Amino acid sequence: MSEVEFAPPPTPDLESYGPNVAYNRERCYQLAQGFFKDAVRRARERHERQKELKLRLENPELLSRREQIWSHSGKLEAKYLRFLRTKEELSNYTVVKTIGKGYFGEVKLVRKRQDGRVYALKRLFKSEMISKEQLPRVRAERDALAESDSEWVVKLFTTFQDNASLYMLMEFLPGGDLMSMLIKYQIFSEDITRFYTAEIIMAIEAIHNLGYIHRDIKPDNILLDRGGHIKLADFGLSTGFRRDHEKSYYQTLLQRPAPPSGRPQNNRHSVNIDEISLTVSNRAQINEWRRSRRLVAYSSVGTPDYIAPELFSTNGYSFEIDWWSLGTIIYECLVGWPPFAAETFHDTYRKIINWPHTLLFPDDIQLSYNAVHLIRSMINAPDARLGRNGAAEIKNHPFFAGVDFTGLRRIRAPFEPPLTSDVDTSAFPVDDLPQEEGFGDGGGSGPGREGVAVGAEDPEMSLPFLGYTFKRFEKSYTA
Amino acid sequence: MSNLFSGISLSQASQSSTNLSIASKLPPLPASPSLSQTIGMMGSPEEALNAYPLPRPLPVWLNPAYARHIVKGNFMTLSARPKTVDKGEWVAHQVVEHYRNLWNFVRVVFEKEEDGKTICNATSCPRMSAGMNHSYTWLNNRFEPIELPAFEYITLMQRWISGKIDDTKIFPTEASGVSFSYNSQITTTALLTGPDEWVGKRSGFPKDFFSICQTIFLQMFRVYAHLYWAHFTEPFYHLNLEKQLNSCFSHFVLTATALDLLKPQELEPMQPLIDLWAANGTFPPESKAYEYANLKAGTRLLQLGGMA
Ligand SMILES: Nc1ncnc2c1ncn2[C@@H]1O[C@H](COP(=O)(O)OP(=O)(O)OP(=O)(O)O)[C@@H](O)[C@H]1O
Ligand SMILES: [Mg+2]
Repeated sequence: MSEVEFAPPPTPDLESYGPNVAYNRERCYQLAQGFFKDAVRRARERHERQKELKLRLENPELLSRREQIWSHSGKLEAKYLRFLRTKEELSNYTVVKTIGKGYFGEVKLVRKRQDGRVYALKRLFKSEMISKEQLPRVRAERDALAESDSEWVVKLFTTFQDNASLYMLMEFLPGGDLMSMLIKYQIFSEDITRFYTAEIIMAIEAIHNLGYIHRDIKPDNILLDRGGHIKLADFGLSTGFRRDHEKSYYQTLLQRPAPPSGRPQNNRHSVNIDEISLTVSNRAQINEWRRSRRLVAYSSVGTPDYIAPELFSTNGYSFEIDWWSLGTIIYECLVGWPPFAAETFHDTYRKIINWPHTLLFPDDIQLSYNAVHLIRSMINAPDARLGRNGAAEIKNHPFFAGVDFTGLRRIRAPFEPPLTSDVDTSAFPVDDLPQEEGFGDGGGSGPGREGVAVGAEDPEMSLPFLGYTFKRFEKSYTA
Repeated sequence: MSNLFSGISLSQASQSSTNLSIASKLPPLPASPSLSQTIGMMGSPEEALNAYPLPRPLPVWLNPAYARHIVKGNFMTLSARPKTVDKGEWVAHQVVEHYRNLWNFVRVVFEKEEDGKTICNATSCPRMSAGMNHSYTWLNNRFEPIELPAFEYITLMQRWISGKIDDTKIFPTEASGVSFSYNSQITTTALLTGPDEWVGKRSGFPKDFFSICQTIFLQMFRVYAHLYWAHFTEPFYHLNLEKQLNSCFSHFVLTATALDLLKPQELEPMQPLIDLWAANGTFPPESKAYEYANLKAGTRLLQLGGMA
């Protein structure tokens, strides 16, 4: 009898295929990989929930409620399964108001038609984001938000997309952002500053523990929940892009001669002259700056005020850049404006680069020794910066003496948003934002789903944005 | 071919016709023992494998070296129904997930190249087949079986399946319509049995829901079988996607068998691969897929691959 053998494995041969195959291959590869990654995560979470359920069913104190516990679990799981099965699209939501805007997109308060629940929906325009080298990071950052289950990070419920945009459906944080608070109160006491700073430390620590650098810690990315406690937002997609956008923007600026109104760059004193221009006696200038800061947040480049100097260099950076940013926020809370504020971004940028000479404290504002010491330790060279060895060394700074970091969320926040309804937007600059009907241009009219149409490309299937879609199991999902 | 097959006319046994619009009205298939069960009772590993009508040399995908996966660990946890979840809900979920996975691979052979050609086309695959012994026909409007190129068959089938999945009367999506599974220890409402009870009834799934899902799974199985028999090397192996394909297919088989969406005899065209996966531990002994497998044939494949 002749030995049975396998057909010889052919030599892998990509050459014989047409040019589209490489693209199709990559997509297939990523989808399969992504499916199992997701499926394993979901199975693991499901398993945890079942274990918890078992404990509750065995708890003698809950004996009378067993049937209810059982059916509640079954229904909750079923709702999640239906959620997974259905296609999310814009038309599932109605717009209440536009509450925020940034370079890549906008944030709207929306209501889900099916269950009437309120969410914040962030929309990012794909066309603004196509920049190939950045796409792996897009995915990594979306993963970070999706994987985080931290009380310090805005909760992402689901992400979806159509031809024009990516959408992130988040919990709505009705307290507005820290920028609005700073615009309103101009200055915080050291006690209030201590509270917000301590919370921000916890938040930054939580995302660092996930292995993620925020890169864009600034007051308009620090949101307040209904209790007035902070949560970090906006470390999904746009940061990476924008940061690099800024980097090249500043690098070009560097190479160009200074604008006509500025001083010649080879004048070594120019920096020293700029630095003094912003003092308390210069109130008019500060008020002007304060009025414009919202507009700056909407503009294409964004403010460089909170960026660590090493982000502008080509030498790389690490987790400690977020601690620099926090240092500048502490300064701003206590002083009323960020330490390197200037009339133009260009000037701010130069001040940051020259921080050892430009970090000044105004004479007419009284700050405690510990506050100044803390700020100076954080606005510092990366290898000497407080926080480079972890958040603990910041928490141990005397400025925070007596603060119970783990109990922060249980104490009452200094400002609790006075809310009148679930769609109260009084904490948001809604009057400054264009309030068009519905989702405005390009939204809602996108093609819905017709199965997987052969030939026509489903937006979910376009390679750059593959695997963007995400759905979180929601415990509080109501019937 | 071994004479163990005498009595089974292979060409007839596996020439199945499909008109999906009436599929749910077709009488149920006779519950005959599966091929592997018949074979498994006798003979050596070598005889067990030789009993299959396989071409020689054996297809690459039966070589254990190319039957690997991208996932480690027990696939069964992915398809195990959480105890509180209604069976209909779970089946619906699995149908949609497996459909998305399968279509991911079909897309690779279906998408047009710049010259307008697809990898699976009327010339490469003039029939919807899975090896020499299995080909599937479609029923036309006059209920006559017609042979179609695989491309057309799969396209028709895809339209039919997505038509079902997107129909909220068959696959309801309203969050408010959900229910839960019964547990005689805990839930007081009695579990009804009888003609008035069907899978998913309490969650709003229609009476024919389960049989529709069985048909969907059977059709998806045929597509997988076609991908293995006709496209494993071209293109999946060439594109280094064989582990991905294996992983999705083994997950599919485990799910389908665990939930009774495929019957043992329906697995026939892919039986040797299932045997191999049972023998090499991909399918754990407590799984139905393992139960349906012929371990001897699987062991023989491992021996031939130098892995046993
Ligand atoms: N979940 C939310 N709840 C309430 N308001 C939010 C929420 N998310 C964002 N906002 C508001 O919208 C503004 C802009 O949102 P976000 O910072 O996420 O996007 P962005 O600034 O457009 O992004 P980028 O800064 O990367 O361009 C925030 O400053 C905040 O005022
Ligand atoms: Mg922002």
